[in-house]
Formats: sequence, structure tokens, C-alpha cells
Amino acid sequence: MIRFEHVSKAFGSHQVLDDVSLVVERGEILFIIGTSGAGKSVLVKHLVGLLRPDAGRIFLDDVDVTSLSEREFYPIRKRCAMVFQHSTLFDSMTLAQNVALPLRKHKGLRAQAAEVEAVRRLDQVGMAAEAARFPSDIGDGLRKRVAIARALTLDPEYVIFDEPTTGLDPMAAANVDQLIRALSDDFGVTSIVVSHDLRSIFKVADRVAMLYQGKVLLDGPPSAFRATTDPVVRQFIEGRPEGPMQFPRKA
Amino acid sequence: MSQLYAFGRALALLRDTWKWTFRGSLRRQSKVFARQLYEVGNRSLLFITVTLGVLGTISVFQVLLQVERILPEFSVVGPAFIQTMIREFAPTIAGLIIATRVGSGIAAEIGSMVVTEQVDALRLCNANPVDYLVAPRFWACVIQNVLLTVYGGLVGICAGACVAHYAWQISWGSFFSLSLVGFPDVISGLLKATAYGMAIPIAAAQAGLETTGGSEGVGAATTRAVVNASFAVVVLDFLLSGFSFLFLFGNP
Repeated sequence: MIRFEHVSKAFGSHQVLDDVSLVVERGEILFIIGTSGAGKSVLVKHLVGLLRPDAGRIFLDDVDVTSLSEREFYPIRKRCAMVFQHSTLFDSMTLAQNVALPLRKHKGLRAQAAEVEAVRRLDQVGMAAEAARFPSDIGDGLRKRVAIARALTLDPEYVIFDEPTTGLDPMAAANVDQLIRALSDDFGVTSIVVSHDLRSIFKVADRVAMLYQGKVLLDGPPSAFRATTDPVVRQFIEGRPEGPMQFPRKA
Repeated sequence: MSQLYAFGRALALLRDTWKWTFRGSLRRQSKVFARQLYEVGNRSLLFITVTLGVLGTISVFQVLLQVERILPEFSVVGPAFIQTMIREFAPTIAGLIIATRVGSGIAAEIGSMVVTEQVDALRLCNANPVDYLVAPRFWACVIQNVLLTVYGGLVGICAGACVAHYAWQISWGSFFSLSLVGFPDVISGLLKATAYGMAIPIAAAQAGLETTGGSEGVGAATTRAVVNASFAVVVLDFLLSGFSFLFLFGNP
């Protein structure tokens, strides 16, 4: 179980998160939604120690990870993987080497053994034939698949997906949705998905939390999200440019 | 005050770089290290050759013009020029060239990785960014800066000798006399080259790792890297010249 308790974070004078509390149960798929700049990615990066909160505490299975050192975060990152918004494959490495890196660093496998396992992982996302190619040789959708393979290579208990379907064609996006659902249903993986994709939310999410002006505006099942009368949430669902929603200024 | 904090962070980065080096960073990152040796060294050769060659030519030309008005003979020009080239010109000009060409490249490369979250991804893979990104670039800069300094010094001296010989008919033997050059001069020059070779990648990597924002942030980091690295070269030149005069050269 993941718990964010009264987490606040500011960049300079810009308050991005303001007393955010949120719980994610084991095996659950939580979608965190909100406008660009609402602090969705900032919130999830706290869980793996990429950002530190100004106030509040974060727990992973009742272990307080708020003030762990970089070294103490290593075992946490082994259990909690993240698929970044822009895939973030390493340009200087082949796709197989990209996927092999966590195996080498976290599990201490030798390069050759790690790459054999990496090719197997790439095969699961239909990318084994491209294993020797470099990230710059393939398109965004394929890069996303490799990034997912890299994130899952350590069989994590928790996976953070930061806008996993952004920039993908509808078929590829549906595949990613299926994968997230299957991870939860078949392996009990807990997923936090940062997304704007309403189609994915209604198809995959167990629960939806909407961040607005640094706070949790709505937290409930997709049905509650769909049925809400809150004018800000309605404006978001209906994608209307006019309405009560105030857009965050750039950090 | 913020400058002091930045200096403190640079020292911490230098300490971490040494720490990861002792933990076998160069062995693990041997391919990156080899590529950086090529990037820093081979790709700076033309820049170093032209700059030091032109500097040697112009310096000797100007000095000989002035000396011609005061002294009847030029025998001291060559040895004095070689001494100055070894002590000062070669390390400092090469250092400034590396600060601009290589410093900007390191900051841009690491800065781009920061804004595209590749550095965050490295950390999630249990790979330390100092181990993966900074240490190989650091040692490539140290080694190649020393080698480029020696090479640049030779180019400058030879270019100066050509001007002296063909424009003023000074004999090769007279110009290439090492009568004023001692071991302390060589030590001073190599000390500077080594210190610049350490300061430049640290200033550049720090600027890159502290990049914020998007492409605008990478541009700002690149500028900051060049300014800080060049500033470091100038300040170190002042400090090491003072040290050399006090402890290496004896009474000037």
C-alpha cells in the first residue's frame, strides 16, 4: 500500500502540491489526472525519491520513505518501477542494453546474461527483433514499449506510468491499457497512472484522483468521476476551454 | 552567497567523482571513457593547432618588433618565449579552448539528459549519474587537457620559431635554446594543465546536472558552464602562478 500524507512541494514561489493526501491499495490501478502543470508527475516522483517533499510523509507498505538517502532508495526502486513520459531510453545504448541496465545494476547480473534476459523481456512487448537497434532508430510508440519492458524487467510490485499513452496511436494505446490491466489482474501489480486520456481512465482505472491547484479535488471510482457535478471536473471531462477551471502558471 | 553554495556543490561533485573512480567507474564505463577521450582530444586538435599556432606567430612577431627598437640582438627572444609558452600560454590558452569547446558539450549533453528525465531514469536503474556520466568525462578531460597542452605548446613554439627564422633570420639553434627553461617551468605548466583539466569538467557537469526547464534551460546551462569553466581557469591560473613563483621558481 502507498500512502501520501499531507505532502506539499513548491518550486520557488510556485506551490505545486499543497497538503495532498492519497492512498493506493495493493493491486489497485489509480489514475491521477489533472491539467498540465497540476503536479501529477511531481507527486509520483516523490514515491521513488526523485523529488523530496517540503512537508508531509510518504509510506510504501508502512515504510516511511520520505527522508531515505539515495542509497536507501535503491531497494525501494527495485520494487517500484517507473515508465517516464518521454520513455527516456539512453541514447548511447542499444535497446537490449537499455533493458539490461536495471538487471545489471539492481541484480548484479553480468552484461551478457543481462542482455539475454533483456531480449526475452523485449520479446514480451514484441520488440526482440529490434534488440540491437538504438533508440534514435525507432519511433515514439516503439520506444514506449521498450521503456515499459525496462520498467517491468525486475518484476516490480508497484509501477508508475507517467502519461503512458501520450503520443501513441489508438491501437498502441489500447495495448498499453491492456498491459496495465493485466499486470494488476494477473500479477497483483499496483499501478499509478498519470494520464489525460479519458478513454483509458474509463476502461482501466479502479480509482481516479484529480489534482487541481495543488490539492486532491476528487478521489473515487470512475463511475463517481463520470457522475460528478463539480463544475471544474465536468469542464475537464468535457474538455471545454471555457469554465471555472483556472490553469496553473508555468513553474 | 549563492556563488559560495555553487562552489561548495562543485567541490562535492569533485569528491564524488574521485569516490566513484576508486570504485571502478572507468573500468565499468570503459566505452564511454574511450569515446570521451576521442571527443575531448581528437576533436579539439584543429582548434588547438590553429589557436596556439596563430598565438605563437603573433606573439613572436610583436615581441621581435618591440625588441628590434630597443636591443641590437635577439638571442634571448626564443628562450624567453619558450619559457613563457611552457609556464603560461600553452596551459592557459589550451585550458580556455577546452573550457569553451568541451565544457559546453558536457553541459549540453548532461543538461539534455536531465530535462528529458534520462538522469532520473539512471537513478531508478540504480546507476549513479556521477559514476555513469561525470567520472568518464572528468578523466578524459584531465588526460587530454595535459596532452593537448603539450601538443599546443609545441605548435606555438614551432610557429614562433618559423616567424623568427624567416622574418628576422634568427637561427633555429638560437631560437630553440632551452637556456631559460628549467624543470620547475615544466612542472608549473603541467600542474596548471592538470588543474584546469579537473576544473573544467566539474564546472560543466555541475551546470548540466543543475539544468532546469526545457531547451531554454539547456542553453542557460551551457552558457553557465562556459562562463564558470573559463572563470575557473583564470582564477586557477592566478593561484597556481603565485604558487609557482613562491615555491617553484625561487626569486623571479
